[in-house]
Amino acid sequence: MAAGVEMREEAPRVARLHAILWGIFSLGGMFAAFLLPVMIYLTGIAYPLGLWPLNGSRDPSFLVMGTLLGVLFVFVTVAGSLFHGIFRFQSALTEVGLLRLKKGLEAAGYLIIFAGIILLAYYLLVLNPSLPAL
Amino acid sequence: MTEKTFPELRRKLTSGWWTSNRHYVQYMVREWTSLFVALFSLVYIYGLSLLATGSRSAFLNLLKSPAMIAFSFIALIFTLYHAVTWFYLLGQVVPVKIGKTTSKPWQALVANLVLLIIVSYLVIWLLVLR
Amino acid sequence: MVVLDALNYIKANLDGSLTYRWSCRMGVCGSCGANVDGTPKLTCASFLHEFKGRTINVEPLPNFPVIKDLVVNMEDFMRKLVKIKPWIIREKETPPEQGEYQQSAEELERYQQFSSCINCMLCYSACPIYGLNEKFLGPAATALAYRYIEDSRDQGKNVRFPIVHEMEGVWECTLVGECSVVCPKGVDPMLAIQKTKILGATNALRSILMPRGGR
Repeated sequence: MAAGVEMREEAPRVARLHAILWGIFSLGGMFAAFLLPVMIYLTGIAYPLGLWPLNGSRDPSFLVMGTLLGVLFVFVTVAGSLFHGIFRFQSALTEVGLLRLKKGLEAAGYLIIFAGIILLAYYLLVLNPSLPAL
Repeated sequence: MTEKTFPELRRKLTSGWWTSNRHYVQYMVREWTSLFVALFSLVYIYGLSLLATGSRSAFLNLLKSPAMIAFSFIALIFTLYHAVTWFYLLGQVVPVKIGKTTSKPWQALVANLVLLIIVSYLVIWLLVLR
Repeated sequence: MVVLDALNYIKANLDGSLTYRWSCRMGVCGSCGANVDGTPKLTCASFLHEFKGRTINVEPLPNFPVIKDLVVNMEDFMRKLVKIKPWIIREKETPPEQGEYQQSAEELERYQQFSSCINCMLCYSACPIYGLNEKFLGPAATALAYRYIEDSRDQGKNVRFPIVHEMEGVWECTLVGECSVVCPKGVDPMLAIQKTKILGATNALRSILMPRGGR
């Protein structure tokens, strides 16, 4: 050991949970990048302004009712984007000076993510009662 | 020597640290656009709650409201900004080797943008046009 | 002429008490790091003609306690370098008579850029995460750990992974990327940290899905 450098007392512990959360966060980022733009476009822009491909009489509720593919698309996109966005925003908030609130912000963030995903799954199931049979 | 023999000056980082440098500002903008990604998801879940409780007209009126359209435009711009910066990061973090050459980040950006267009069209084709 | 020459001039002619570190004066020893005009740079690599016509500030490296003038306390940095055990760890050493540990050119290329670090600490000064949280392992230490993780001769993954994958290891990094921008040797610590995160996530997944095997 070089002179003047102390030995570490505690053994380092792998933050396994955080590693998994980071993996989910990265996956969510992929979904937000590849799937969210088209979803925002269809739901928030194409439908109300009557643009292609929703320039007929279809409204976006068909995305979440009826097809397994549609339900999966919405779940994966919204859940992934929510996780990714909140996760990242937590750290962005602490970096602008709210370091003292870090634990509280993290708890609040995970609560929002958890509640959001549970609600999302619940509403999708309510709208598609025949889904569990598929 | 582990003994300090002089008083040291400790300089703390202020909450405005990111304004001092162009790269830091770009970083902060990039991170804060993630807020809109999360916000749109939350608003969408709220909209689904209207639909799921039977008020389909309330859901459609929400989507047609000017506030929602404006929010969707902003959310789309910021989500695309997230996508573009995310693709560039992918290019930096996971460079691809083809033979002797390694890919550059801007190449990953272009390739993934093309992929984004393809995937978006696929989603529209599979869920809307069919 | 470089900023280091200016510092030497000041010390020789204007203020003999000016205190700063320098050694090789050619960008390989890593001693002369300072904040030059707001950016962490080696003073021996900052050419004066870049600042022609202006007055610039030369400050001690940010994020480190200042001892005197431009001299900062490096102990936290040194402690972290030692912490990741920057040497080849073998499960079993083979005796010298059996020859060297062989390594192909491809195996060398996997870690070579990360071995270029000259320990100049510019990356720690550029990293706001380290500035906000002194416990963060930081760019250079992680890049060095990654250099050994990727070295085919090293068998010390079990020793190094807990250090880099603990909470204050790589997980604090939020991809600001400034470390790689200021590095004078092209080490790209941001890349090393992200690769280490990927290793951490896949390891964690593997340890859950295959708790007893799959090494």
